[in-house]
Amino acid sequence: MSTPDKKPMVGRRAPLVDGVEKVSGRAKYTADLDHRGALVGRILRSPHSHAELLSVDVSKARALPGVIAVITGDDCDKPYGILPIAQNEYPLARERVRYRGEPVAAVAAVDEKTAEEALRLIRPEVRELPAYYEAGKARQPGAVDLHDDRPGNLEREIHHEFGEVDAGLSAADVVREETYDCAEVTHVHMEPHAALADYDAERDRITLHSVTQVPFYVHLRVAQCLDMDESRIRVIKPFIGGGFGARTETLNFEIVACLLARAAKGKVRMKLSREETALTHRGRPRTRIKLKIGMTREGKLTACACEVEQTGGAYGGYGIVTILYAGALLNAIYDIPAVRYDGYRVYTNTPACGAMRGHGTVDVRHAFECLLDTMATELGLDPFQVRRLNLLEAPTRTINDLVVESYGLPECLDWIEAVSGWKARKGGLPPGKGLGLACSHYVSGAAKPVHWTGEPHAVVNLKLDFDGGITILTGAADIGQGSSTILAQVVGEVLGLDFDRLTVIANDSRITPKDNGSYSSRVTFMVGNAALQAAERLKAVLVAAAARKLEAEPEDIECLGETYRVAGGQDSGISFKDVVSEALVDTGTITVKGTFTVPREYQGGKFRGAGVGPSMAYSYSATAAEVTVDEVTGRVTVDKVWVAHDCGFAINPLSVEGQVQGAVWMGLGQALSEETRYVAGLPVGPNILDYRVPTIVESPDIEVKIVESLDPGGPFGAKEASEGALSSILPAIANAVHDAMGVRLTETPLTPDRVMAALVKQARSAKPADARGAA
Amino acid sequence: MAKSILRLTVNGSGREDAVPANMLLVDYLREVAGLTGTKIGCDGGECGACTVLVDGRPRLSCISLAHTCAGRQVETVEGCATDGRLSLVQKGFHEKLGSQCGYCTPGMIMAASGLLRRNPRPSEAEIREALSGNICRCTGYVKIIEAVQAAAEGAP
Amino acid sequence: MEYLPEFDLLRPNTVDEALSLRRERPDARFLAGGTDLIVNIRRGIAEPGTVIDLTGIAEIRRIARQDDGGLKIGAAVTLAELLERPELTDEYQALREAAAEVAASSHREVATVGGNLCLDTRCLYYNQSEWWRSANAYCLKHRGEVCHVAPSGKHCFAAFSGDLAPAIMALGGTAEIAGPDGRRTAPLGEIYQDDGAAHLRLADGEMISAVQLPAAGTWQSGYAKARVRAAIDFPLAGTAIALRTDGRALEDIRVALTGTNSCPILIAGTDRLLGEAVGEEMAEQLVAMLPKQIQPMSSTFTPPGYRRKVVANLARSLFQRLIEAP
Repeated sequence: MSTPDKKPMVGRRAPLVDGVEKVSGRAKYTADLDHRGALVGRILRSPHSHAELLSVDVSKARALPGVIAVITGDDCDKPYGILPIAQNEYPLARERVRYRGEPVAAVAAVDEKTAEEALRLIRPEVRELPAYYEAGKARQPGAVDLHDDRPGNLEREIHHEFGEVDAGLSAADVVREETYDCAEVTHVHMEPHAALADYDAERDRITLHSVTQVPFYVHLRVAQCLDMDESRIRVIKPFIGGGFGARTETLNFEIVACLLARAAKGKVRMKLSREETALTHRGRPRTRIKLKIGMTREGKLTACACEVEQTGGAYGGYGIVTILYAGALLNAIYDIPAVRYDGYRVYTNTPACGAMRGHGTVDVRHAFECLLDTMATELGLDPFQVRRLNLLEAPTRTINDLVVESYGLPECLDWIEAVSGWKARKGGLPPGKGLGLACSHYVSGAAKPVHWTGEPHAVVNLKLDFDGGITILTGAADIGQGSSTILAQVVGEVLGLDFDRLTVIANDSRITPKDNGSYSSRVTFMVGNAALQAAERLKAVLVAAAARKLEAEPEDIECLGETYRVAGGQDSGISFKDVVSEALVDTGTITVKGTFTVPREYQGGKFRGAGVGPSMAYSYSATAAEVTVDEVTGRVTVDKVWVAHDCGFAINPLSVEGQVQGAVWMGLGQALSEETRYVAGLPVGPNILDYRVPTIVESPDIEVKIVESLDPGGPFGAKEASEGALSSILPAIANAVHDAMGVRLTETPLTPDRVMAALVKQARSAKPADARGAA
Repeated sequence: MAKSILRLTVNGSGREDAVPANMLLVDYLREVAGLTGTKIGCDGGECGACTVLVDGRPRLSCISLAHTCAGRQVETVEGCATDGRLSLVQKGFHEKLGSQCGYCTPGMIMAASGLLRRNPRPSEAEIREALSGNICRCTGYVKIIEAVQAAAEGAP
Repeated sequence: MEYLPEFDLLRPNTVDEALSLRRERPDARFLAGGTDLIVNIRRGIAEPGTVIDLTGIAEIRRIARQDDGGLKIGAAVTLAELLERPELTDEYQALREAAAEVAASSHREVATVGGNLCLDTRCLYYNQSEWWRSANAYCLKHRGEVCHVAPSGKHCFAAFSGDLAPAIMALGGTAEIAGPDGRRTAPLGEIYQDDGAAHLRLADGEMISAVQLPAAGTWQSGYAKARVRAAIDFPLAGTAIALRTDGRALEDIRVALTGTNSCPILIAGTDRLLGEAVGEEMAEQLVAMLPKQIQPMSSTFTPPGYRRKVVANLARSLFQRLIEAP
C-alpha cells in the first residue's frame, strides 16, 4: 500500500473551525444565551465628572414593585484592576466618582421598563470637585488629585536611557524634533458588552457568561470583589464579537452582574447599550509625543529621545503597561545606538483607557516613522534606503535587552518596494496623489505574565477516548481571531489527522485549563507551543500502542495519521482506531497535557528599563499606502495598501491575511476618521455615527504578503500576526499625504477639517498675497 | 402594554403572535421568534448588524417596528440554508474568511443575499454599495468582498 | 429587549384617514421609514403617544409624470425606489445625486422623500441618549433652557441635515401639503425657517404628501456633499445647483445649501449673475455670495470653520462641473 496523500494541516488555508456556526446564525453570543427567568440588570451612571459621593438613596427604587435588588458601592468594598500594583477601581463607585458614566448603582428587575424606572428613582448626593479632561490640565500645580496616592495626577512617570543619547545626538549630522498629537481612539468591537450571571443561592456558587478576552482574570476579580472562594465561580466565554483589547481586563459590568445576581439570589442578564460600551472604553489614550532623532548625512540613526504624555482617564487599568510599552518598543525594529525615553501617564476625569490592538506602540511608531520620513526627505534620501541602512541583524539583543531571533523586515521592504512600483512611481504621481511607506513590529506574547505564580504561561489538555475523536481543551479565548482553528491545525499536524477528528473546547473554567487569555498576541506563540507539546506527547502514547500491536520498537513506528505502520516494512499497518483501542487497554480515556513557559533568558535583563516589552519573538511589517487628497473637501482616500508581514510561519495563511488586513484597516480608521472627543467629560460620539469607523465604501484593497522568517521559538516557526501591522499604516498614510500635497500633519486623525486647514495654511504661506489659495 | 396580533411570514413559515405596538422587529425576531442570529450592534440604525430581508429587500430591524411588517415575508440568517446546507453566500463567507468574530456576519449575509437576488453578477462597486450600511470591525472588508464575489461566481 | 417608551401604532390607508387620526391625537407623530423617528424615540428626544405609519398609503407612494412635463413624487416613495427611476438620471440629476448620498443603501430601502424633507435638525448636544442629555442639563431644543452651542442666546442652532431639500429647491420644486384645511402647495423652501428647535413651518396636523418638480427643460443640475466617510454620514455641508446657459451666458441659476443652518438655504442674489458669461470668474462671484448667508455653528463633531470653507469649495467645483458638462 502506498503512503496515503496527507495534506499538511499547518500552512493550510483553513476556514475557521467555528465558522459554520457564525455564518448560519447558530453561534450563541452572550446576549443570545437562554435567559428565561433572568432578571434585567441595569447600571446607573454618574452624570458628574468628578465629585465626592456623599450618599446614594436607593429606598424609592427598592420599593418599586418588580425591583428585586438594588446595589451600590456599599455592596463591594474590594478594589480591582488588571495589574496587581494598580487596583484602584470599584465595580460601583465608593466615596468618589471620577468620570461621567462611572457606575454608581445597579438594579435587577423583572423587565426593562421597571429597571429603567428604578434607575430614575435613585438619588445620588454629591459635592462636585474640579475636573480635568486633558493631561496638561490634570498635571497643573494645584490640581485636585483624582487618587490620593498619586500626587500631581501622575499615574506613572518613567525615565529610561539606553546608550549615550546626548553623545549620539552630537555625533549626528542632522537632528530634528517634532511634536505629534494622536487622538484617543476606541475599539468598537461590534458586539456590545453583555454578561449573564447566575447565582445558585443553595450552593453559594456563581456561573458567569461574559464577553471577555481574559476569562481567567475575570474569574480572579469576580472572586475578589464578591469575596468568594475561586472554586465557587465558573466563568464561561461564549462566542465573542471581537475585543481588540477592550476586554483584556475585568470590566465593571461583569462584576456588577455577579453582585446583582447574588443580591437578587438568581439570574441576571446585563446588556449594555452601544453608548455604555463606549463609556466602558479602555481604548488607546490621547498621546502627545515629542520626538527627537539624530541621523548622519547617509541616513544612519545615531540616537533618539522621546517624551510621551498619555491622557489616561480615571483609573489605572493597563495604564502602566501602556506607558512602558510606548518606550520599550522604540527598540527592536531598527538598530538605534542610544534611546532616551520619558513617559508620563496621567489621570484625568474621562473613561479609563486601556489596551487596544498594538498596545502602547501605535502612536509612538507613527511619530517615529513620520519623523524618519521627514528627515529622509530633507536629506534627499529614499525612505527605503534610510530604513535599510538601519536594519537589525538577527539574532541580536537590543540595548534594552530585548532578544530578536528572527527578523523578516528586509524581505518585507523588498516586496513592498517592488509591488508598489515605488521606484518608477514615487514622485511622479498626478497632483493630489501620493505614496508613503512605514514599518512596524510587535511582540508575540508578553514574556512576563501579569501574575507571577510560577505556573507555565500556557497549558493545553488533549483528551482521546474510545470514539477516536480528540478534544482539544484550552483556556485560550477565541474572540474571532481564529485561535481555536490554529490550535486544531497544530495538533492535527503533529498527529497527521484532519479536522474531522478534532474538536476544540475553549473557555469554560470548569472544563478547560487555565489560560491567561487573548492579549499581547500571545496565543499562537504560547498556547500554540503548549498544543504542540501536548500533541507530541499524545503521539508518543499512540506510537507506543502501535508498537505493541505491531510487535515493533516505538522508534520504528511511522505515524501516517489514519494509519500507523512499521517504517520501511511491507505491511499496510493498522488503522488509527485500532491504535486507539490498543492505547486504551488498561488505561481507559487518555488525557495528556502540554505546557509552555518563556525561558528566563527572554524575560528581559536586570538593569533599569530592561524587562519592559520582552517577548520571545517579534513580528515585522512594512506597509505602503497610495492616497488621493481631495482639495475640494480635504478628504483623504486611501486607494491601495500593500503590506508585508513577517509572522514567522503562517500556520493558517488565510487567517494571517485576514488578521493583517483587519489590523491595517483598523489603523486606517485611526489615521483617517476615528477619534473620541469629550465636552466637559461627556463623550461626543459614543456611537458608530460620530465615532467614524470606516465603511466598506471608502475602505481600500489591502494586498498582503506573508513573509516567513521561521522563528526558532515559535510553533512551526510562527509569530504573531494580529497586531504588528497596525502601527505601520498610520505613518504610511501620513507620509503618502505629505507626498501628495507637500505638507505634514502632526495630528491624527487626518480628518477633512485638519487636511483642509493644512491646505489653507500651505496656500497662505506659498502665496501671501492671495488669501484664498488652493483650497 | 397592550398587545395585538401580528401575522407575518418568517423564513417561510406563517406566524401569529401577540406583540406590543412599540416592539422593534429585531426584538420580535430574537425574543419572540427565538431567532438570535439577527444581532444588535448599536443603539439604532448605525451598524447594520440587524439587517434582515423584508419581501426580499434589506431592512434594519432595529429601527423597524414589528407591526409594520404585518403580512410581509421576513427572512433572517437562519432561513438561508437549504436542507441544512449553507447557501452560496454563507459558504462564501465561511470559506473566504468573510467572517472573523462573526457578529456582523448575519447582517452582512442578509444584505449580500438581497443584493445577489436583485443583481446576480454585481461589480465590486455594487457590492460595496449594497453593504455600505454594514460595519465590520474585524476583516477590513477585503475578504467580505471576496466572499460575495465567490457566492456570485458559484451561482448557476 | 431594547427599551422603548410605550405608544400606540396606527396604520391608515389614506391620507385623509391619516390626517383625521392626527387630529384626534395631538401627541401623534407621522412615521415613514423610521430611520430618523425611531432612532429619536429610542434616544428619548421624540416622545409620541401615538405613531401613525404612513407607509401603507398607496396614494403617496407613487411617482407620476405631470401634464406640464414635471414630476410628482409621493412623500412615502422610498429613496431606493426613487433611485430606480430613469427620469432622475436624465432630468433631475441633482435629486438623483442627493438621494444616492443619503446614509447607506439599507437606510434608503425604507427612508422616504417626505421623511428626508422633514428630518429633524441635528446637534451633538441633542442626538444623545437620555442619560447623556440629562447629565448635560438637556438643551434648548428639548427639555432644557440653554443652547450649549450658543449659551448666551435663546436660539437653537441644531443643523438641518437633509440631502434632498437643497436638490429639490435648486430644481424649483414645490411641496404638496395635506392638512386639516385641505391641500396646498408651496415652494419647498417656504416650509422651513432657520430655527433649530422649530425648523418646519407646517401647521399642526399638516404633512407633506408629495413634491412636484417642474419640467427639466434645459436645466443642468447636481449635488455635492461633504462628509468624512463615503457612506452613512449626514452632510457636514451640501450644495445643490441647477442652472441653464445658452452655451456662453448664464440664463438662470438656483443654488441651495444644506448642513450650514437650521434649514436648507436658497442662496439669494444670484440674479446678478444672469446674462453674464459663465466661467471661473462667475464661480468666484457665486462663492462670494455664500458667507453672509450661512451660519454653521459648533453643532457637529467637525468644526464649523470647516463647514463654512467646504460649502464654498463644493459650490465652486459643482458650478465648474455643471458649466463644463456637455
